[in-house]
Amino acid sequence: MPKVSADKLDPGMKLARPVIVSNMILINKDIELTETLIKKIQDMEINGVYIDGPSQQSISKDEALAQLDRRFKKVEDKPYMNVLKKLVKEHIEGLYD
Amino acid sequence: MIDIDIKNLRRKVENINSLPTIPSTLKQISKVIGDPVISLKEIGDFIGNDPALTTKILKMVNSAFYGFPGRISSTSHATVLLGLNVIKGLLVGVSVFEAMQNTMLGLWEHSLGCALTSRLMAKRKGLKDYDDVYAAGLLHDIGKIILFLEFPKEYKETMNEAEFKEITIVEAERDHFVTNHADIGSWLAEKWLFPRNLIEVIKYHHKPHLSKNAPIETAIVHLADIFMRANGVGFAGDPFVPAVNPVAFETLKLSETDIKEILEEMEDSLEVTEELSL
Repeated sequence: MPKVSADKLDPGMKLARPVIVSNMILINKDIELTETLIKKIQDMEINGVYIDGPSQQSISKDEALAQLDRRFKKVEDKPYMNVLKKLVKEHIEGLYD
Repeated sequence: MIDIDIKNLRRKVENINSLPTIPSTLKQISKVIGDPVISLKEIGDFIGNDPALTTKILKMVNSAFYGFPGRISSTSHATVLLGLNVIKGLLVGVSVFEAMQNTMLGLWEHSLGCALTSRLMAKRKGLKDYDDVYAAGLLHDIGKIILFLEFPKEYKETMNEAEFKEITIVEAERDHFVTNHADIGSWLAEKWLFPRNLIEVIKYHHKPHLSKNAPIETAIVHLADIFMRANGVGFAGDPFVPAVNPVAFETLKLSETDIKEILEEMEDSLEVTEELSL
């Protein structure tokens, strides 16, 4: 699910997450972008939107998770660190979905 | 271990203007922000007279106002909107990191990521002074830069030791210097007349439970630092995540859902940092 900046959107791209402005849903997820919607997003000065499809990550998921283990290896038994690691792991995995 | 006692080291750091390795822009800025009677207008004029500095400050300011890109187009607008303390913080941040860009790779990204994440956590906790917390996140590791500029050989050895022995950079600093980057950063922050809360965040970001006046702000920057390292964003001197301080973590009362949302918002902010390489 890559985030694509407003100036790089093309008609036909499908929203993976709703576009929210001031806590209100402007365009719902699963909607296919049209020229008009893209213009609207650009006019609202929205930074970027989430589009369906795999994200481009610089390293593989396995490599990213191996690096995570290495970063945490000295502190996994410390208070709250197992929870933090679990949440960061889920977050990293989410980047590859 | 370097051959200097703590009193002389402090004197040396405080006389930053006479350090041969400090770039001239930073010396000038140090003079301006160390002036106790400087006005907002004078600082605005100082920035406005330097086009390169103006560009960088505006880039930073607009990134801090994530979600409102391109809204702040002049330094006078920025100074009025953000106030003296935040502008002083940004000035130091921009000039200090510029001095570092070819040496300690990744510290700029780490610091900017910390700043943005600290700001979004401060907003989530309902703090009014979230831009001050942004400045604190940006400057929390300023002591590392001073150590690196002044003792490059020893600091590289310190970083190597941290990686080799699998200890944190703070622990390794203790073996090589009489103190650590948090204390050194706080000496400078005091000299530059930064507000008490900012000095405390810099001084206690590794011991947040000791902060008396800014426990929430210090806990926020402490945790933002950990989030950056946990996600492998930038480089802060060693490749390891330090243990979270339990008191600080409990102070913030973040639920698992809160943390998940912070990590997601952080990811959005980090895209901004890519555009902000100095």
